Amino acid sequence: MIVADLARYLAHTTAARSVSVSELRRLPNGAVQENWLLAARFEGGWLAGDRELVLRTDAATTLGIGLSRAVEFQVLRAVRAAGVAVPEPVLLCEDSGVVGRPFFLMRFVAGEAQGERIVSGELGGDRGTLIARLASELARLHAVRPPLRGLEGLAPPPADPARARIEECTRWLAEDGEPHPVAELGLRWLIRHAPPPAPPALCHGDFRTGNFLADPEGFTALLDWEFAGWGDPDADLGWFCLGSWRFGAYAREAGGIAPRDAFYRAYQAASGRAVDAGRVRWWEVMAALRWLVLALRQRDRCLVGGERSLDLALTGRRPAECEFEILALTEAA
Amino acid sequence: MRDRPDAEFLLARAREAVARGEGGELVARARAIAERECAAGDAPVERFRQALAERYGEGGIELLLRRLVAEIRSGAADTPGPVQAALRRLLWRMTRQKLAESNPGYLAAADAGRVPRK
Repeated sequence: MIVADLARYLAHTTAARSVSVSELRRLPNGAVQENWLLAARFEGGWLAGDRELVLRTDAATTLGIGLSRAVEFQVLRAVRAAGVAVPEPVLLCEDSGVVGRPFFLMRFVAGEAQGERIVSGELGGDRGTLIARLASELARLHAVRPPLRGLEGLAPPPADPARARIEECTRWLAEDGEPHPVAELGLRWLIRHAPPPAPPALCHGDFRTGNFLADPEGFTALLDWEFAGWGDPDADLGWFCLGSWRFGAYAREAGGIAPRDAFYRAYQAASGRAVDAGRVRWWEVMAALRWLVLALRQRDRCLVGGERSLDLALTGRRPAECEFEILALTEAA
Repeated sequence: MRDRPDAEFLLARAREAVARGEGGELVARARAIAERECAAGDAPVERFRQALAERYGEGGIELLLRRLVAEIRSGAADTPGPVQAALRRLLWRMTRQKLAESNPGYLAAADAGRVPRK
């Protein structure tokens, strides 16, 4: 990334006399997107002063799914307007000439996202308060209903979100080409037990421990909106409870943080919508299948795409977790 | 039966990560997977292949897994009964074996922490 080009662009865009960048370093995490901490002094203009920002851009190779940075920026604006605690979006640059790819800037929010440190209690503060806060952020998000001005970049709400997901997973499994018997079992179970469509809401799409920031006192911000879209709100609840996102604290089924019932009760209280445990269970099986096929696609970025990443290579060994979840969740059903 | 990438590929990426001065925890995970697979050799895959061969006749592991997929797609595992039970036993066996090599911590945590479903 050429810092001088970036500084020139920022000065021009924010009407600053000059911008001096004191720090630009890649932040940890983010296999699909890259996040860079950008510390800079803006002389004049609408961002005048010393600023700590986060520059978010595509990684070298992508999954070929998920939102563009431009649409993710729209989503960030919309959910912030709806009262969801997210980093404030600052500006969007769709010109690949500045840093090599489109990017957006958001204000830096303190906190860390490491799942292990959150489930251990080192980060996130009191467990009951944390799960209630997460449930209320999710309820606020799910109160956003289509259509909404400013979110025209999102695909229209699917008529039947469950069927749409089944079709997507079927296609991805076929594209993979290898035999995945547990995934096939999960797919058949999902087809036979698909719930009727619910009114669509704005969903995060990757709502889980590891995708929000927390400091030792508690939650600070919800991150990683690249898979957001109109869908069934129970999909976010099921994804959050998937075993893969409990970071070893397996018995605390709500994200490794709290018992499942506590999360459901908090969500119900915040949203006014009764949680149907059967529907959420269906979406949890779907979460296991979807994470399985996404892991295969992540793996192919290094096996086929040539990206030399150990993280991506190890993701190729995660489908077995999802297979465990599919078998456990569909037991005697 | 084992998921890709194989141990050799993981070790190659781990060596590159070490050369870049990064990836402590990831490097350890990759090495541990490779060590477990090298120690076990082909025996776990062969044992599972034999279990499949008892049901589907002789053949290589990939061919037999495709036969298992075909039986599942036929709906044989949809309804409770001895066929569903036999197929699920095979699937659990394969899954537990893969986890024992790729992520034994997950297997241990899940076995200890599974909450009975209401």
